Amino acid sequence: MSGILVVQEAGRKRISFEALAFGRRLAELTGLAVETAAVGDPNETIFVETSGPPIPTSHAVRHSLLEKYTSDGYVLAFEQLIRKLEPSYVVFPHTYQSRDYVPRLATRFGQVLISDITGIEAGPIFIRQLVQGKLTGAYRHQGDGPCFLSIQAGAFPADPPQAGKTIILTFQPEIAPSDIRTRPSEPFRGGSQTVDLGSAQLIVSVGRGIKDAANIPIVQELATALGAELAASRPICDNGWLPMERQVGSSGQTVSPKLYLAIGISGAIQHLVGMKGSQCVVAINKDPDAPIFEVADYGIAGDLFEVVPALTAAVKAAKQ
Amino acid sequence: MILVLPTLAEPQHFSLFEKLLFAGLAVASGYGFWRQFGKILDKILQSKKDPSFRLFPLGKRIWEFFWEVLCQAKVVRERPLPGLAHAFVFWAFCAFALVTLNHCAVVLGIGFLSPRGQFARFYFYFVAAFALSCAVGILGLFVRRFFIRPKWLGEKLSYQSGAIALLIFVLMATYLASFFVTDASLTARTLWWLHTLALLGFLPLIPHSKHLHLVLSPATVFLSRGGFAQIPPLSGDEDFGLVAGTDLTRLVSLQAYSCVECGRCTEHCPAANTGKLLNPKEIVLGLRGYLNDLGPASEEPLLGKYNAQEAVFQCTTCGACEFQCPVGIEHVPILVGLRRGAVNTGVWEDQHGAKLFLALERGSNALGLSPTERDKFIEKQALPLFDGTQEYCLWLGCMGGYDPKGREIVADFARVMNYLGTSYGVLRKEKCTGDPVRRLGNDLLFQQLAEANLEALAQNKVKKIVSICPHCVRTIQEDWKEYGTPPEVEHHSEFLARYADRLPKQINDENIVFHDPCYLGRYRNVYDQPRTVAALAGNLVEAPRNRERSFCCGAGGGLAFLGEETGERVSHNRAAELVATGAQTIAAACPFCNTMFRDALAATGEGAPELVDIAQLAARGLPASGGS
Amino acid sequence: MKIIVAIKQVPGPDAQVRIDATGKWIEESDLQFALNESDAYALEEALQLKEKHGGEVIVVSAGPERVGTTIREALAKGADRAIQIACDDLGTRDALGVSRLLAAAIKTENPDLILTGLQSEDLGLGQTGVIVAELLGLPHATLILHVEVLDGAGTQAQIKVKRELEEGWFQTIELPTPAVLTIQSGGNKLRYATLMGIKRAKTKEVRQLTAAELGVDSAPVVLLEQVSMPQRKKSTQMLPGNAQEAATALVEKLKFEVRVL
Repeated sequence: MSGILVVQEAGRKRISFEALAFGRRLAELTGLAVETAAVGDPNETIFVETSGPPIPTSHAVRHSLLEKYTSDGYVLAFEQLIRKLEPSYVVFPHTYQSRDYVPRLATRFGQVLISDITGIEAGPIFIRQLVQGKLTGAYRHQGDGPCFLSIQAGAFPADPPQAGKTIILTFQPEIAPSDIRTRPSEPFRGGSQTVDLGSAQLIVSVGRGIKDAANIPIVQELATALGAELAASRPICDNGWLPMERQVGSSGQTVSPKLYLAIGISGAIQHLVGMKGSQCVVAINKDPDAPIFEVADYGIAGDLFEVVPALTAAVKAAKQ
Repeated sequence: MILVLPTLAEPQHFSLFEKLLFAGLAVASGYGFWRQFGKILDKILQSKKDPSFRLFPLGKRIWEFFWEVLCQAKVVRERPLPGLAHAFVFWAFCAFALVTLNHCAVVLGIGFLSPRGQFARFYFYFVAAFALSCAVGILGLFVRRFFIRPKWLGEKLSYQSGAIALLIFVLMATYLASFFVTDASLTARTLWWLHTLALLGFLPLIPHSKHLHLVLSPATVFLSRGGFAQIPPLSGDEDFGLVAGTDLTRLVSLQAYSCVECGRCTEHCPAANTGKLLNPKEIVLGLRGYLNDLGPASEEPLLGKYNAQEAVFQCTTCGACEFQCPVGIEHVPILVGLRRGAVNTGVWEDQHGAKLFLALERGSNALGLSPTERDKFIEKQALPLFDGTQEYCLWLGCMGGYDPKGREIVADFARVMNYLGTSYGVLRKEKCTGDPVRRLGNDLLFQQLAEANLEALAQNKVKKIVSICPHCVRTIQEDWKEYGTPPEVEHHSEFLARYADRLPKQINDENIVFHDPCYLGRYRNVYDQPRTVAALAGNLVEAPRNRERSFCCGAGGGLAFLGEETGERVSHNRAAELVATGAQTIAAACPFCNTMFRDALAATGEGAPELVDIAQLAARGLPASGGS
Repeated sequence: MKIIVAIKQVPGPDAQVRIDATGKWIEESDLQFALNESDAYALEEALQLKEKHGGEVIVVSAGPERVGTTIREALAKGADRAIQIACDDLGTRDALGVSRLLAAAIKTENPDLILTGLQSEDLGLGQTGVIVAELLGLPHATLILHVEVLDGAGTQAQIKVKRELEEGWFQTIELPTPAVLTIQSGGNKLRYATLMGIKRAKTKEVRQLTAAELGVDSAPVVLLEQVSMPQRKKSTQMLPGNAQEAATALVEKLKFEVRVL
């Protein structure tokens, strides 16, 4: 085949289409053809829906032992598929699942996965982030054998779908039950009655700017709309407006969510040390000189009693 | 008209039986004393030596002995009325020395102070005056302990104290009564025997009760470590602090046995005053109990049955306990020693504590923030960088470098220094001085920080440091000595006070109350300089607990980095007191005090006084263009 | 239970990143180095398993002489002994090359369990543990928070591990030992280094090996050709306008930049 094989993940449509978009960029640079593959049934969404122009050939990898994801099963299945198709490049979305089996897969070919790619240049040169995002690295593959790649979510926007037909070929790998050494359970939610801000991905936090306990529902509504946990700075918990377990700060919880929305919080050091690990900080405060803006990625200097309801409405609209 | 003054009656002619009886009782009494005292002396001497103890120079020790022991200065100054009563009792004991000697000699027929002799007559009257004041004193103290029952003496009534009070009273009363009887009378003889029995009964009681302090405390005061809240260095590879009995040193054991149980330490303790488990008196008595039961060779942990780990980690190291102690017990090294024992061996499991330690293991500051934050501040404030040519290195510290409020203090202090034309610079990189980990007892981390800092300062050719934080100042000046020679360092209040006459004074009727930080006041003896600076901006008023009695803000001892307190918040207690002075402004001189009070005042709501640092007060009067 | 923990010494979190003369890596001369964060959690998990089930914990690390400091830190925290693989050209080896070194050293020990951190703070590839598993022919699991030993005794011990999935989901996996696990940060409370630990570490064995002794070739298939500084993004973007406008702008950002909507 000597082309580009884009392996998609049935449960993760968006990033799978982004992987395909990357595959097309790679195709432009190398002049190679793109085919896709995924574990699943030909009538599943991942095969039925397309992104961009339809792929000429797509491979549905089917086996009873692949029903539940295991690294042993997927490594065996894709090893056999790759040996059959002999692509020059194999592209994966960088998900927890890919990280779990693709390095093993690559090793079977004497190769190394170039992972979490954020850019591509002529060469081809693959760009990824190093040292916690403080450095950018340019990688090149050398030697024979397929080049294994995985792309970062959001780095290569998916193309809008176009109409057309894809031929789906079914591939049945040879896997014996004794090959599968791990027994995974069904996924479950982190179960605890008490609030666990430490593992929350989205947090809306309220400070003294809220002025009165009676106003907290305004912020709670925003949190609910976002699907976020509600947290607070110390004075709010001290006054009993919210329970102590919702306190973020040096004497409360340390959090590192994807999004931390600080509302009416000035940014005193005891609070900052609790949330400085947040990936993205948004601050809403009446005082444009409030220290919180020093650590925020986005800020709105305005009256929270106006901004928050407007934001809640906008979030609800966006989610429809 | 001739005034005939009474003379002291001295019974004559004691029978052989009486002589033998006296001798027997005296031997029994002496034996009773020595049997117990010997045990205690043994325990103290069997404890390991204090490797860093230096007896010389003697001058200071002699002065302390004279002032604190003989003049009873601290005893009286810190609790005036009961202190004075105690002073009279003590002075009476001293005065009675010759009398007692003579009293015992008399029965054996070798009395040397004849009541008719001129010297003796004068001396006996002299002692009588003391006896009278002592009797009144001991009566007053008895009433105080058993009827008034102040909280700090403890919940349980001490019958032992009652018995001692009774004996002392009897001793004084019998002495005084002896002026009013004749030599040959039966009454005189009875009084003599009563006095003797009281004396011989008292002697063995001394080592069996807290009155052991009679013997020990002069030595304890004389043999102090020198310096205030002095943390001794660890000695050798196997020393991790106060882990078990084998780690108790002679000084610690001596101090444990000297405790008078007066409760002055607890009375001024911020933790004890806000409903925490920690009670400094009980810490010392816990060690005494350990020594009594298990001795100084025991391997059983000191923290467990005799003292709770939880209590030990509630200490802010404010030093009020050590400052108050009239018998020379040094509580701070004991508490830090117990913490060392728990932390250096990994026994202390506290999530906030571990977080602090890990932040300093991996990073440069106690807050776990990236040093680029400090760089950004330096750039934004346009602070000059230290290049070895300037006179002062302005040390930012963790609070000055990273805390928004701390940064304001630095910015205003820089403005003042610019106005004064001072030559200064800030270091490109700073590591935490290590104060919180030092007070929490983590010697591994402290050594790493101290050594790294000393090396960096030497490389940068820093000769003089000025800092806005009393904790940094203390740690640099005293604690870093263990690992090298620190440069000169002073607190910004000392610097500003020197130039106060060059700084503009504002005339207004704003009342300002200054809160003495523990690490500036009690630790460094700096009380007037910050007041001089604060007075530039208004009228000074004083809080009830001020100067050496200043009540901690609650942040010291690493506690600013630990989790929630139990009981009332120390900072709230102190803030309420400061607010109650009615001042419009609270002046602080420590960024930690500032942070603690800011939270507490937030709870006060509208109408709370303004909270500023003295640097900000000094900067107020500056012309708008002066500086940054 | 014999547990091997593969640890890596990386530039500390406060490291100032400057590109070196070759343009292929960062200037290391005045960097402070530290134990990789998820490796610290792997070590903690190993120590807790040892405290519970007995056995020994051995740390192994490859790199230049300076990794000795990090190895001693691991010994101070409670590891029993260590293997130090002297390798001055670690940066020129790819993940497969590094894993081959580690696998060769680990093989000689015959451990029951091999733990690594999830990914390193400098390269962030997250592959070493998985590749080691493949080279040694062992089962593995990634993103592990906790390990439970189901059948402690015997050679056919089974373990049950808790694995993190995306978006707040988890799963458990049962697998036989020997196995390789890559450990995610945050599963345990880390212990701090103590004075007693450091003193005791002085007498613990550190076996020295060289890459040559291990007989591992090092021709990489993936090359890091060049590094550069990323575009500065870290300034605060203030969203202007009235409440409505600012809210709308923010929702745009949340949707497309932060990707949480």
